[in-house]
Parts: sequence; structure tokens; C-alpha cells
Amino acid sequence: MESNGGSTSRRAAAERIRRAIALINAVADEAGDEEITPTEIAEAIRDCLELSEVDRAPNVRRYLGEALDAVSDGMPADFVAMTLYAALGALREGA
Amino acid sequence: MVIEHMPERHSASVVLMFAGGSRLEDERLAGVSHFIEHLYFKGTERRPSSKEIADAIEGVGGFINASTDKELTAYWARVPSEHMDLGLDVLFDIVANSRLDPADVERERMVILEELRMYQDQPQDYVQNLFEELIWPDHPLGRDIAGTEESVSRLNREDILEYADAHYRLPNLVIGAAGSLDEERTVVEVRQSLSLRSGLNGTTPALSPAQLTSPRVLVRRRDTEQAHICLGARALSYMHPDRHALDLLNTVLGEGMSSRLFLNIRERLGLAYDVHSFTQKHRDTGYVGVYIGVDPKKAVDAVNAVMGELRSLRESEIAPEELARAKEFTKGRLRLELETTNGVAFWLTYQELLLGGIKTIDEELALVEAVTSADVKRVADDVLSAPLQMAVIGPFARDSAFRLAIGA
Repeated sequence: MESNGGSTSRRAAAERIRRAIALINAVADEAGDEEITPTEIAEAIRDCLELSEVDRAPNVRRYLGEALDAVSDGMPADFVAMTLYAALGALREGA
Repeated sequence: MVIEHMPERHSASVVLMFAGGSRLEDERLAGVSHFIEHLYFKGTERRPSSKEIADAIEGVGGFINASTDKELTAYWARVPSEHMDLGLDVLFDIVANSRLDPADVERERMVILEELRMYQDQPQDYVQNLFEELIWPDHPLGRDIAGTEESVSRLNREDILEYADAHYRLPNLVIGAAGSLDEERTVVEVRQSLSLRSGLNGTTPALSPAQLTSPRVLVRRRDTEQAHICLGARALSYMHPDRHALDLLNTVLGEGMSSRLFLNIRERLGLAYDVHSFTQKHRDTGYVGVYIGVDPKKAVDAVNAVMGELRSLRESEIAPEELARAKEFTKGRLRLELETTNGVAFWLTYQELLLGGIKTIDEELALVEAVTSADVKRVADDVLSAPLQMAVIGPFARDSAFRLAIGA
């Protein structure tokens, strides 16, 4: 059984990961008028890492860490997106 | 020789199945079995070109073909039943009297090299080759049946003659025939017409592959629109008493549109267009694998979802109705395979050559029916606890996220 607090914070974590995915997808699709910087994307991923919920499902924190490394190393946006989708999926699997 | 009389049919099929395919080839001879199979359609003394071989069978509306596998090479013909003697005659002619003309060897070498390159341009097929390299590293089973560009470029006519002489001999051959045919007459025809030599000379026994000790990931970077992924583990041989339980596990997991992978990964999560599972079995080894064709961005997510399905098979027994569906699927597929004379001839010949005895269809169906949910869970626990191997083709610069997904 899971408390409402658990599912609420999981939803919050999923929401933050989705926000990071939206940013990186915008970079991948070259959409929008304003340029999104790697710093903004890294910040969005760090926001996810701040939530304790990411430790409640296996590997979520590690995928987010991989995504952050990929941003720092200048990896392609699609690759970062793949790692973030993996984090989101791992969060879902842990539900 | 094995024969099944099927008097209600209008056709007859005959299969010549030789023990020994690519598994028996060392690195120097990699691809020679497949090379020989191609060359045997190029001409004999009596039928000097491929056209004359094809005309002989197609002239009566029949079919003739061959295939090379890892543990066998098969030549077959399907003809209207009154032309059974012709089918036997052409097949015996090509396996015993082929000319192996030096010009044909050179021409066919080019064809096979193109065939090898073609597979590399088909990532959904090529990823399975990479997966088999991981499953059976440094072993002939892990190599493409057609060999490598290096080995095929190097093979010469003497290599081919030597290998053919060693392997195309009577003790290596099982002949299967099925259809509307006269059994006694067929046996007499075989005795009179087949001129292969008896006794083996120069064949080597197949070596077993070494144990796998750790999970591994191989990423081949290509700018493909989709990611192509094969993951799986070593599994059971075709001699293993639990092979039917493994087949049912595979059916539940990923065969058809009512399988767990299809329903969960494709229909529920919308992660992949093509997702299915498959097995391969050999005398002393085998594997169960999953293929995923997926948007590169969703590649690791899809792998994680597959891992979830594999875990689920180990954690709880499949429901009785799911097992019953899988059994009906398996039994139905076997019955459909045996609809044609060709299917029956292959089924009998395969059993005799590789299993050393023949089960009737009812005996085989009874073995499927006897499998329980507990058997499937036990096999899942055994097979899926082995180190997982994963091959990936796609636009990926790193393998770290994939390694994380399978614990490599």
C-alpha cells in the first residue's frame, strides 16, 4: 500500500523529469525562439535530483546522473533525452 | 531414411539433410558449408548449368531449394507426386556430382560477399548477428552462417572440395520423404541412385561454447532512424527435457499479438513498433532473445520495460488461462507447419538427424500439454538468471545507460 504522499511526490518527480525532457526535446527539434542553454538543461536535471522520490525506484537517480554527465560532456540532445526517458520509465516501473 | 505416406496429397517432398553446418567450421573455413550449398546449384555433369537444374524441377511445376544452418545443411524438392523420381534424381545429382567449376566458385564468391554486405545494411537482422556474437563469443555458433568477408574472400576451390568430401558422406545424411508416394519404390530408387561415399573422413566433432560469466553490452553506432536492440540469455538445447516449457515461456513473453511484450510494450506503453521474442536451440546450448525496434530516444526505456517483463516471469507463475492460450498457440502452429508435404518431410528428417529418433505429432503435442505453470516459472528462473547479453544498433555515442539497464 502506498500513501497519497508517496504518489503525489512521485507525480512531482515525474513532472520535473518531463519538464527536463521538454527542454531537451526543444533543443533536439530546434524549436522555439529563445535558445535553451546546456546550463538550463543541467539545472532542470538537478531539480529532479533534489527530490528524495528519485531514490525510491531503482536506477532513477543513476539515469539522471548519466543525463547530467551527458549534458556536461556535450553529448547530442537525443542521447540526453533517451537517458531522461529511461529515468522516467524507471520511476514508472518502481510505482 | 524416413518416409511418411500421405495418400490424400497431390505432391511429394524430399529432403536431403546433412549433419554439419557452420558450427563445424574453424575460422579459416568459416562459411564453407554455405558456399558449397550455393555451388551445388551451379551445375553437374548431366545438368551443366543452374538453369538446367532449375528447369528440371520447375518444368513439372515443382520447387527446389536449399538452406544452410548452424548444425545442418538441407536440400529439398517438392514436386507433383508422379514426379517423385525426378525430384530424387536431381537432388542426388547435385549433392554427388556437382562440377564445382573454378569460374563458378569465383562468381559465387562475389554473390556471397554481396549477401554478407546486404545483411549489414539491414540492422534489424544484423543486430541478431551481433547478439549471437555476444551469446557465443569466439565460437562458430556466434558467427554468421555465411562466414566473414575475410574467410569468404580467402576460401579456395581446394578448401571447398576437401570439406565437401569430408562431410557429404552417407553417415552424415538423413533422407526424408513425405506425400503421395510409393514407399518401396522410393527406397529402391534411393538405393540405386545415391552415389555418396560411405565412412567419414576428416570431420571434427563440434566443441561446446565456454560459459558466460557476466552481462555484456555491444553498441554499434549507426545513424539509423530506429534503434535495433536484441537482448537475452543463454538457454536450453533441443535435447533438454524442459525445452517445451521454454517454448511456452517464449510464447507467453513475445510470440504474436497476444503476448506480454506486444500488449505491454507496444499497446499499453506505446514504446516500440516491433517487439517480439524468439529462441534458438542447438545440441548443447541455445538462447532466448527479445528484439525491439524503437525510437532511439525511447531505447533504454524500452529495455527497462522488457526487463520488467522478464522479472515478472521469474517472480510469479503465469495464470492457467495464459498457459492454456500459449499451449493452443504452440500446438496450432505445429499442426499448421505439418500441413504441407514439405513441412512433414522437414519435421521427420530434422528429428531423425538431430534428435536421433522420431516422435509422432500426438507424442509431441502431449509433451506440450504436460507443461505446468510451475515448470515455466522454474525454467524462467533458471534461464533468466543467467548473465544477460545485449546488442544495440543506433545513433548512440555511449553505452553507459544501456549497461545500467541490464546491470552490466
